[in-house]
Amino acid sequence: MDIRLMRPSDIPLVQHANLENLPENYQLKYYLYHALSWPQLSYVAVDVSRPKKTPYDQPKIVGYVLAKMEEEPTDGVPHGHITSLSVMRTHRRLGIAEKLMRQSQLAMVETFGAHYVSLHVRVSNKAAIHLYQNTLGFDREKTELKYYADGEDAYCMKLDLSSIREKLREELEEEKKEERKKKKAEGDDEGGYEDEGEPVGDVGRDPDAKKDEDKKVKVKVGRALGVGELVERVESTRIEQ
Amino acid sequence: MPQVLSTREGNLFRTVIKHYEDKQYKRGLKAAEQILKKNPKHGDTMSMKALIMNAQGKTEEAFALAKEALTVDMKSHICWHVYGILYRTNKNYDEAIKAYKFALKLEPESLQIQRDLANLQVQVRDYDGYVQSRFVMLKARPQIRQNWTALAIAYHLEGNLEQAETTLTTYEKSITATPSKTDFENSEAILYKNSIIAERGDIERALEHLETAAKNSLDRLAVMELRATYLAQLGKNEEAVKAYRALLDRNPEHPDYYRGLLGALEIPKDDQTSLKAVYDEYAEQFPRCDAARRLPLDFLTGDAFRTAAKSYLSLMFDKGVPSTFANLKHLYSDLLKKDIMPVLAEEYLSERKSSAEVKDQSKADSSKGEGAALYFLAQHYNYHLSRDLTKAMDYVERALELDNSNVDFHMTKARIYKHQGDIRKASLAMDHARSLDTRDRYINSKAAKYQLRNDENEKALETMGLFTRADTVGGPFADLTDMQCIWFLTEDGEAWQRRGNPGLALKRYHTIFNIFDVWQEDQFDFHSFSLRKGQIRAYVDMIRWEDRVREHPFYFRAALNAVKLYLLMHDKPHASNGVNGADGQKGDAAEKKKAAKKAKKEAQKAEREAAEKASKQDPNKASSSKTKDNEDAKKKDDDPNGLKLAATSTPLEDAMKFLGPVLEFNPKNIDGQIVGFDVYIRRKKYLPALKCLKAALALDKDHSRVREQVQQFRSAIDPVLGSLPPQVQEIIKSEFTS
Repeated sequence: MDIRLMRPSDIPLVQHANLENLPENYQLKYYLYHALSWPQLSYVAVDVSRPKKTPYDQPKIVGYVLAKMEEEPTDGVPHGHITSLSVMRTHRRLGIAEKLMRQSQLAMVETFGAHYVSLHVRVSNKAAIHLYQNTLGFDREKTELKYYADGEDAYCMKLDLSSIREKLREELEEEKKEERKKKKAEGDDEGGYEDEGEPVGDVGRDPDAKKDEDKKVKVKVGRALGVGELVERVESTRIEQ
Repeated sequence: MPQVLSTREGNLFRTVIKHYEDKQYKRGLKAAEQILKKNPKHGDTMSMKALIMNAQGKTEEAFALAKEALTVDMKSHICWHVYGILYRTNKNYDEAIKAYKFALKLEPESLQIQRDLANLQVQVRDYDGYVQSRFVMLKARPQIRQNWTALAIAYHLEGNLEQAETTLTTYEKSITATPSKTDFENSEAILYKNSIIAERGDIERALEHLETAAKNSLDRLAVMELRATYLAQLGKNEEAVKAYRALLDRNPEHPDYYRGLLGALEIPKDDQTSLKAVYDEYAEQFPRCDAARRLPLDFLTGDAFRTAAKSYLSLMFDKGVPSTFANLKHLYSDLLKKDIMPVLAEEYLSERKSSAEVKDQSKADSSKGEGAALYFLAQHYNYHLSRDLTKAMDYVERALELDNSNVDFHMTKARIYKHQGDIRKASLAMDHARSLDTRDRYINSKAAKYQLRNDENEKALETMGLFTRADTVGGPFADLTDMQCIWFLTEDGEAWQRRGNPGLALKRYHTIFNIFDVWQEDQFDFHSFSLRKGQIRAYVDMIRWEDRVREHPFYFRAALNAVKLYLLMHDKPHASNGVNGADGQKGDAAEKKKAAKKAKKEAQKAEREAAEKASKQDPNKASSSKTKDNEDAKKKDDDPNGLKLAATSTPLEDAMKFLGPVLEFNPKNIDGQIVGFDVYIRRKKYLPALKCLKAALALDKDHSRVREQVQQFRSAIDPVLGSLPPQVQEIIKSEFTS
């Protein structure tokens, strides 16, 4: 077993694992959208022990977490969201789901300054609820009625990430101290340059949202299974006069 | 001369564009027609009308009108631009590029046209053109960082690493204010530059750049990983050790980190004790870590292996980890390890028997303890390197005695039946396993797969339908196609092929081919999207992957099936029932005929039903759903059962579509070269046939089929050699010497 970041070349087999395991499926483009918007957040568990039969064999994906940042958080707080998580039945009880989740949560804080992470889970999925609540510490926020296509309700769950944020802040401060010491030792009295407050801030949004005058058009990618739509700007169909 | 619009109509023309952009197609058309009433030869309006019609799915009419518009007003950049858009939306990128270039000549200042052109150029990998376009765009708006990054990407993809780096540096020098630490675009651009420096091979400079400019990057993991790699590459082992330890503290389940650490520690490869000690450290630090416990089994030998394997197995059996066998079977290439594993599992069982107290525990959860060991043994004897199916069945039965409702045990039983060659029993057993946990799609998928292996296409689709979206128009099959469920399409096609229905088989393979087309087209939107998002390294990764997307075994398997089927159709044009003939299987002719008839009937029935369904649904769809009106009209499939595909009179030519990418992207796969030869030799394309043959010989000169092909080539070439062009004769004589 190898737990590592998801790469674009993994996507066909991530999609395959999703289709084998879960009823909520997406077209490849939706995975690409995750991989190219928040490449730091999605992880895979790979069965590396399978011998290759041809040089083109792909490593088998036995579990994955597909994660994103909420593009336009209604509460204005940057936060992550788990789009999909699954582990093959044959590879359970190794704690893979938990390990995937922890890697993703760490990156949500470090790279995108997430304050919390949210997800939806079927109310009947006891194993998953147990993982989220007891192992990972998620809280049950509310129930969304008929969230799933087949009419089942979902629990909306949330995990506060402030402990990771706190730890990161300490690490960064430690690094800064080291830096100063080093600089001092080198006879440079300027010290490390100052941090401007928050270690990582609100960078989940498009950095050029204002610079670019093109308007936003919602374009459907994959299916809206409560997972939001790809916010895409259609710019190339415009005609300038 | 182009007609000139009055002020009023000029305004109206602008509303046409507006309506088009807002996807108000009907209104747009109405306004366009109003203009055309007075100015029937107004090229721009005609073009806009064509554009709207194209969006409504009337492709042919749209092209006709757009062409007419061009004859009326050849000097209009709008007409050319629209022409380009039509080609682009219909995926003819080369023609689109030509049209855009005309448009741009007429309107060189248009950034919009330039941007569209650039996106097309990178899509078709015209890097030369892409560099030029991005250069122009940068000159027009140098204050935007995206434009600098884009030019750097263009140089990078073109292979000009030095220019790529220079471009990024030029921008960095031009900014006066220090970018905020939370400026993601900046953070990523710096890491991108770092990756280019490393790609240029200057690791020393890459490390220095990483430790200074990229130190505060928001992608902390990337910085840590790159730093560890650079340090190791530069032989700075002391620091590399620290770097890898930091990575392992983050993620102790990533074997690469252990490899890096052990390398930096300079532990000799045969010093098993010291190697193991490093892993033990992490096993102790992380009680739930699997890798630190399992990886030493790869290099340990003798008694050390025995001890470690036994304690690992006991731990896994106690926990009831179902993947224990899957995670260890790679050890079986070592004969001693292969032989000792079942012994250890048996030892575990007998030791448990002697302690009475644990026995009660296992009753609570059959997948732990005894059940886990029996399950392991069943899988062991079911595995091809250690196969003894009688024993395998014996162990799985013993496991089932513990708990007859365990899904995993039944699943393995089904696999054993499969290896015994009894696919019918296998299918039934897997379906039984499915019935024990109807909420789990994994076991549901397996049941459907086994039904397909047993040629039960209809039943398999029903099984799949238990989990597909109920509201998809067209039912489970349409959902599976929409969701690009390649494994199902492949297995379904293979089953139809076995059942003697080449139409449906070809249909499935073509559907898979088309899915790969879609996957290639999927990247289009990201050429601009990724620049805005700023995730440049991920984008470049994606481009590299897309370049080789058809390397995927998913493609190879479907394509190989298709090529073989076409070969068969060529060899036996009248036996419309697919496969059975050529491989020399002694199928009963009458039975085959019957099967063919049945398949044809079924296909006709399915077609009737599909047509009926379509006729019922279409009118509703158009009127009831508001959004559907705006979406591109979906093209109706005029050959849902592949009857037209199967009726081809040029099977070898049709096979080329599948064969081309097979040879291009899987050249080292001997099965591809073999069918390549088969197709080319039948088409009398002697040089390509020889190329395949030589490639196959290089991969495995003793392959029996390849040796047959050598003979086949000789007897094909001998009578015609003299009649071939002299150069071809020359090449064949010098290359075909075996």
